[in-house]
Amino acid sequence: MSSGPFTRLPLSDVLERRWLHYAFITVDERQALIANLATLGGENGDEPTQTTVLLAYHCDHGWTCSQWHASLRREPWTSYRFPPPSTRLPREPDFEMQSLTGTPSVSLHLTSTTTPAPAGVSHFHGTNWKRWQAQPGVLAKGRWADGMAPPRQTVAVGYHERVHGRWGWPEMGGWVFGFCNKLADRAEGPPEWAVVFALLQPRDQRHDHTAMVMLWRRGRMVLFVPRRTLRVSVAGQLLRDRVLMTPALAPLLGTFPTAPIPAALSIDGYQGRDSIQIRYRCRDAARLVVPSETSLQPFSVHEVIGDMEVRVKLKDSNVVFTGPGIVEFAGGAAERSWSVLR
Amino acid sequence: MSSDSLRYGAQLAAAGHADGVARIDNAGDLLAQTVDVLVRRAPSIAAAAANELGAIVLAMHFGDGSYAALSARLNSLVVTRTRGNASVACFFDDQSLTKLYDLELRPSEILQQGAFDVRGPIDQVLATWRTFQLLAQRAAGLRPVQSLWREYRRGRDLDFVTAPADRLTYPGPGSQPPDAAGLVRDADLMVARSASVATTRVLWDRNAGEGWWTFEGPQDADLFDIMEVCRRRVADEIFRLIPNRRPVDSLYGLMREYPARGGKGLRPTLCIATCGAFGGHSEDAVQIATAVEMFHNAFLIHDDIEDESINRRGKRCLHTEHGIPLAVNAGDSLNLLAVDTVLKNIDGLGLARTLALIDEIIRMCRESLEGQAIELGWIRKGIVPARDSDYINMVTKKTSWYTCRSPCRLGAIAAGHTRPRELDLIGEVFKEVGIAFQIQDDLLNLVGEEDLYGKEAFGDLLEGKRTLMLIHLMRTVSKRERTGLLRWLGRSRDERTLAESRKVLARMTLNGSIEYARRVAARHAARAAQLFEETLGFIPQSEDKAILRQVIHYVNTRML
Repeated sequence: MSSGPFTRLPLSDVLERRWLHYAFITVDERQALIANLATLGGENGDEPTQTTVLLAYHCDHGWTCSQWHASLRREPWTSYRFPPPSTRLPREPDFEMQSLTGTPSVSLHLTSTTTPAPAGVSHFHGTNWKRWQAQPGVLAKGRWADGMAPPRQTVAVGYHERVHGRWGWPEMGGWVFGFCNKLADRAEGPPEWAVVFALLQPRDQRHDHTAMVMLWRRGRMVLFVPRRTLRVSVAGQLLRDRVLMTPALAPLLGTFPTAPIPAALSIDGYQGRDSIQIRYRCRDAARLVVPSETSLQPFSVHEVIGDMEVRVKLKDSNVVFTGPGIVEFAGGAAERSWSVLR
Repeated sequence: MSSDSLRYGAQLAAAGHADGVARIDNAGDLLAQTVDVLVRRAPSIAAAAANELGAIVLAMHFGDGSYAALSARLNSLVVTRTRGNASVACFFDDQSLTKLYDLELRPSEILQQGAFDVRGPIDQVLATWRTFQLLAQRAAGLRPVQSLWREYRRGRDLDFVTAPADRLTYPGPGSQPPDAAGLVRDADLMVARSASVATTRVLWDRNAGEGWWTFEGPQDADLFDIMEVCRRRVADEIFRLIPNRRPVDSLYGLMREYPARGGKGLRPTLCIATCGAFGGHSEDAVQIATAVEMFHNAFLIHDDIEDESINRRGKRCLHTEHGIPLAVNAGDSLNLLAVDTVLKNIDGLGLARTLALIDEIIRMCRESLEGQAIELGWIRKGIVPARDSDYINMVTKKTSWYTCRSPCRLGAIAAGHTRPRELDLIGEVFKEVGIAFQIQDDLLNLVGEEDLYGKEAFGDLLEGKRTLMLIHLMRTVSKRERTGLLRWLGRSRDERTLAESRKVLARMTLNGSIEYARRVAARHAARAAQLFEETLGFIPQSEDKAILRQVIHYVNTRML
């Protein structure tokens, strides 16, 4: 019997959450996919709640999204199991997910090609905590049907993450997460370069944010930049017209606006004599509206597609790579605002 | 996502900045043109600077020998070039002027005797400094202001204070936070607008950070360009929706006439910007903004007949050109087409939002018709109301609802927000804006430039309109004069002459009626600005919200 990706202990209360998160960009860079499978603690000893959402992007057609109950055909693939999932083919697709309407829908074989990052942990507001572990360079092969372009067999490379924690959305504040894979000549192996960054911004704790940047080369992590040597800035705002509110029900309910998404993100960091610069321009975004258990204002996870340029100084060599990246700008449940409308 | 959707930024890029840069001979010209740009294009910045400046008259002596005095007037800034009494005096040389604009140095590093002096009472010097700071931080972000200063620097070989070449190539312990704004500065405006230049916001600086969603202080927008973009988008939609069929000469051609004459684009701007401020797509508000503009044009046709007006938007009124029966018919047709346009929202916005839009449109039309009826009733009975409150009630109904209040409420509904409390809060702010707008409109009819304004000068007096100036005049003249004025107002339009109107205007000026109306308009605009900041905090800061903020200040500084 396999173990993982989480401890077998039951979820303690309504604020405790476990997620598996997936994000992929096709190797032709025209389509992207984001999926989130969450288990949320039940109320007053009730059974836990499952939510599953599948969000697809096409560069010519924009976004399409399932509601919060996309169907899963089998237990989803994750690299955080023991023994680890088989990498041999042929085998049954190990990530099959679809909206109840039929699209978006994917049936994929997933394979990890890199070592996972060390887990990140953030404690905030007393009993709130979030623990996550990321892995770039996850290879996805199989059938892809987003409902916007004809279904096709494709190859995509992406990112996988497991998250466990207990938090209220207003206390969480928000976060900025992102990744970019620079593919090697052969798509089957690990990416030539991969970068993952995270900035967790709990509300009211301006000196206690968690930040890190990690860099992989051919599947091995070669640079970890901690928060004390990182600087992150943003500028501009992405046009509202480039942001689609999802799931489809959310815009019908008069969901409250969030702050505009920045149009550009810059990250500079160094570790000893090594350094990294990340420059990201946002192109399109989907706003996933997540109901908040403890506030009227929902939490919004903006999944952003854009172009990333990474400059690395590693030992004495300078490297520049570019590629499409997915960044999350998440937050909004802590905004004051609503009291006036009660 | 539709590729032809309305994107201010994208369209601005195509439109360019039509103003161009006028000749700048000296630093005094530069200041005068900067203030002129601000007042026209970003009046909320001018209003904020005026608020800091207060009653101070700031005399500026520049290194090239030129001079300009800056002062505040009615929520805006005024530059004069004649030397007079000033409470604070500033002396600049060219380099210190540049330093001030860049404002990257501490005051103690900028202020140098002989190069940059500020002299006056200490509290006023500090207020002056705050004004400079505000202008440097907010006005310097606007592209038209930047082009002015770039032109000035170019002619004098002046440099920015901070040379980008000094920056480190790779991050290290001594480097600055990364310049995210550099990524947006020349970015594709299809994605990142705007008319104002983005500045870098630091989210995390090694040991402290701010949430990406937090915005401190207001953001500014270039209202001038955005109103033009919205106006054009809605005008295109009107022309698309007016059927291309016969009879052209007696119906469909007439329906196109008023929309083809332009206009300010205030209603489309309010509608579209509110939709964006409430998180919606600007394109979602285009249909309803088009419907409002159609109703507006239909109202204007009928209003011109009721008021016996002669000119509209610089040309002859529809009824004077084509006769009353055809004009009435064209107005009716525009009204019908507007109803049809409202209903078209079912396709894009769904039934629930469309029903809410219809409800709001019905309210808007009812209020406007009631307001018009009140005013026409006064004229018919030869009454001039004694109290300002009667006038305010009338313009609230006649103008405020369909010019400001409903366009905002409709924009919010198009974005999916139908909670009465939200709609009431934004409606309340823009009620005040609508009142200030109508008073300013009446003032411009009397003292504005006819070429800019587009209606005949003194038209309101000739039509016997019950304006705030007239009401004030009636209160302040003797009983005998009042009787004479009432008799004059009781005549038909043909019996009133331009010479008589000029006399009435002279009396209004003498009795302070013009100044009084200006003050009342400014008071309502100030009240709107206060309510905007106090009650609309639930709308996150965004450029769309900044556009709404600019409109508040625009209404009483506008020249047309």
